[in-house]
Amino acid sequence: MSYGILSFGGYVPTLRINRQAIAQAIAWAVPAAKGLAKGERAFANWDEDSLTLAVEAARDCLQGFPREVAQLQLASTTLPFADRSNSGVVADALRLPATVTTEDLSGSRRAGTSALLRLGVAPTGPATLLLAADCRETRPGSPQEMLYGHAAAALLFGEGEPIATVQGAASVHEDLVDQYRSADADYDYAMEERWIREEGYNKIIPRAVRAAALSAGIELAEVHRFIIPATATVAKGLAKLLGVNEDRLVDPLAGQVGDCGAAHPLLMLSFALETAVPGETLLVVGFGQGADALVIKTTPKLAALQGSRGPARYLAQKRVIDNYTMFLSLRDRLQIDFGMRSERDNRTSQSAFYRRRQDITAMMGGRCSACNTLQYPRSQICVKCAAMDAQVPESLAELIGRVKSYTEDWLAYTPLPPYIYGNVEYADGANCMLEFTDFAPGGVQVGSEVRMVFRIKDFDNRRQFRRYFWKPAPLLA
Amino acid sequence: MAKGIKDKVAIIGMGCSKFGERWDCGPEELILEAFKEALADAGIAREEIEMAWLGLFFQEQSAGKSALPLSLSLRLPNIPVTRVENMCATGTEALRGAVYAVAAGACDVALAMGVEKLKDTGYAGLPERTKGTFDDLWLPNATAPGAFAQLASAYAAKHKIPMQDLKRAMAHVSVKSHENGLLNPKAHLRKRITEDDALKAAIVAFPLGLLDCCGVSDGAACAIVTTVEKARAMGFKDVVTVKALQLAPSNGLEMSNTSWDGSYLLTTRVAAKRAYQEAGITNPRAEISMMEVHDCFSVTELVVMEDLGISPEGGASKDILDGVFDRDGAIPCQVDGGLKCFGHPIGATGLRMAYEMYLQLLGRAGERQVGSPTIGLTHNLGGHPFRNVASVSILGLHAT
Repeated sequence: MSYGILSFGGYVPTLRINRQAIAQAIAWAVPAAKGLAKGERAFANWDEDSLTLAVEAARDCLQGFPREVAQLQLASTTLPFADRSNSGVVADALRLPATVTTEDLSGSRRAGTSALLRLGVAPTGPATLLLAADCRETRPGSPQEMLYGHAAAALLFGEGEPIATVQGAASVHEDLVDQYRSADADYDYAMEERWIREEGYNKIIPRAVRAAALSAGIELAEVHRFIIPATATVAKGLAKLLGVNEDRLVDPLAGQVGDCGAAHPLLMLSFALETAVPGETLLVVGFGQGADALVIKTTPKLAALQGSRGPARYLAQKRVIDNYTMFLSLRDRLQIDFGMRSERDNRTSQSAFYRRRQDITAMMGGRCSACNTLQYPRSQICVKCAAMDAQVPESLAELIGRVKSYTEDWLAYTPLPPYIYGNVEYADGANCMLEFTDFAPGGVQVGSEVRMVFRIKDFDNRRQFRRYFWKPAPLLA
Repeated sequence: MAKGIKDKVAIIGMGCSKFGERWDCGPEELILEAFKEALADAGIAREEIEMAWLGLFFQEQSAGKSALPLSLSLRLPNIPVTRVENMCATGTEALRGAVYAVAAGACDVALAMGVEKLKDTGYAGLPERTKGTFDDLWLPNATAPGAFAQLASAYAAKHKIPMQDLKRAMAHVSVKSHENGLLNPKAHLRKRITEDDALKAAIVAFPLGLLDCCGVSDGAACAIVTTVEKARAMGFKDVVTVKALQLAPSNGLEMSNTSWDGSYLLTTRVAAKRAYQEAGITNPRAEISMMEVHDCFSVTELVVMEDLGISPEGGASKDILDGVFDRDGAIPCQVDGGLKCFGHPIGATGLRMAYEMYLQLLGRAGERQVGSPTIGLTHNLGGHPFRNVASVSILGLHAT
């Protein structure tokens, strides 16, 4: 028994836009954009944000592990709430114990690696779920629009039989403002990349990397995989500076996902862990007003988890679009006129929500102890046998459902028409009428199997609130 | 043991406004239009009405809550008025209140009024209503077409009917109602359509196209009821009496439990069984002369034919295509155009159905009179297939 990384996970949203489509749409104004128009970038569906991305990565990571997490840390520069515990919502969605301590970590693209560093160098500590997610909006026509992506990653720390342990780490702080986003701004403001490369990446990262190697007692030549959240050009330059072979660089997923901010180093680590062999040494870098560097070594226990988790399966499951205005609208950068139906007032009664928060956030139904029927929502009288006060709470969130009936509704308002919803049935008698997500038109059939995902149910734009619930989505291939 | 409502109450006057996009009228004017006709029909004075029931669904955007919209519109002399609401069964619910009051002996003459002003929303289709503080947190923001479209998807899957074949039967339902609407001067939609028009109409909610959906209409309808004895004493020879009034709301089973397969309307089956029992009907297909069912969507009418025990399970498509429910068929259905073409002002709909039955039973339906019916069935379905309120009523001629 020792303290270390027990599991890993990742999540990349299903939606991708072909960068060529962006470049073509904006070529009239920004002809230079075509220089960046390679591959696809991942972007969150209208009902996803950093919080929901983090939930998916956490579910990926926690497969097969008890949810007895004592500490939950959520790192992001784009948390949806400035005052309402975002990690608290995640904890409820994951059905973590009420005693879990929850922390929102923000303010830096290094929020994820800094937390990882703290956890990694501790000789022991509580069972901790570290999540990193980012969903940075980008100004139309900007380089960021081409370069950024949305994704999340997760690591589970605890006492047990680790799949990897942190051997050493170091951190350097330098207030080099390569880019910034003021608290009240929508977008990042970035400086010239040549300056950032020469003064930033090339000078700051080597200091952190060398110090980390020293603290781990290794030579850089012993590192099998370098995880550097930067463009391939920058990473190659750094490899040269550090005197290591380019083939040790982990794919930054630029052509499939894009730069995911605070989530990116952990996403790349999670991706690397999917294929790493026991005894490998990985070096993880975080960058942004300084640098973090960690030396991580895998153990023989890693093999047992490989194939069941990590971002690769999500990378394979994609819906690529070529429609730039659709991309803009789904990220609320373009206000399409969806008609008067979209004026619906989505005020949330917080007292009603609080009474039923487990039902909503954890999709907690009930199982009748008299007739064993599972049902959602739970109620005091069983829908099947009418036994009173006999229901035991049971979540439907992890169940596979089967579509019993559905429609593609072109009248109802949704940011991604058609509005697809239907009756979904589960084991032990449960049935529920639910709003679907991530299905393209024609993608649902009676009999289709679905899995549940945690998503934004409605936006209340008048009061700047958003509420969450679970939706059926396509099974993972 | 209660004996039920059969033949205790007679309808002595009915009225119905023209349905449609009544830009010229508010709910008050619609109420008055229906009321004037009913009062003249019954041949009584306004002051003889002792109690009234008002059916109104979307109070938020039309006439408001409580007894007041009716009491104020008709300047009623402070008699008891009760507003009732049970979604699309609202009009029938108003009739039930008035009929029960007369049957109970609480009064001799009662009024049931149903009204809805839908065309002040500013857009097509029904306004979306809030579902309540808890349901809003999780239920889809479904539309009526989206909810009923699922009947079609589940029905087709269960009976292994290719969707294009089911769509053809659904198209026949709409074509038939449009033919009937042509003969009705009060109908909202009076335009002939072809099967091809229906099949090629733009999809609203798959598999329902625009011509599978009923009209969204303004309108009012009302009934004046009294005891059979009093009707006779007033000199009415042919009397239409209430044979059955049954109501069955969901208890949550459909949407919460897999025992319901989504392809039928559970509550309609329950209400129909009770109504047949109350009316003493043992073979509905043979005994019912004609029907007005809740054809909010073509597929609803199709499925309801089985739920009412008229068509065998899985056999509604065949009956429809065989013309069983056409004007000249064995059991004409929606001879006034139905919700599809007469229109669907929600609070008025149940009473509009009773109005047509009343005219037909008395042989007063003019150009659209269908033979000499003796027993008529009306059916409402409020809400969505997975959670709803169903009503089944039976009216008939009462022999002297």
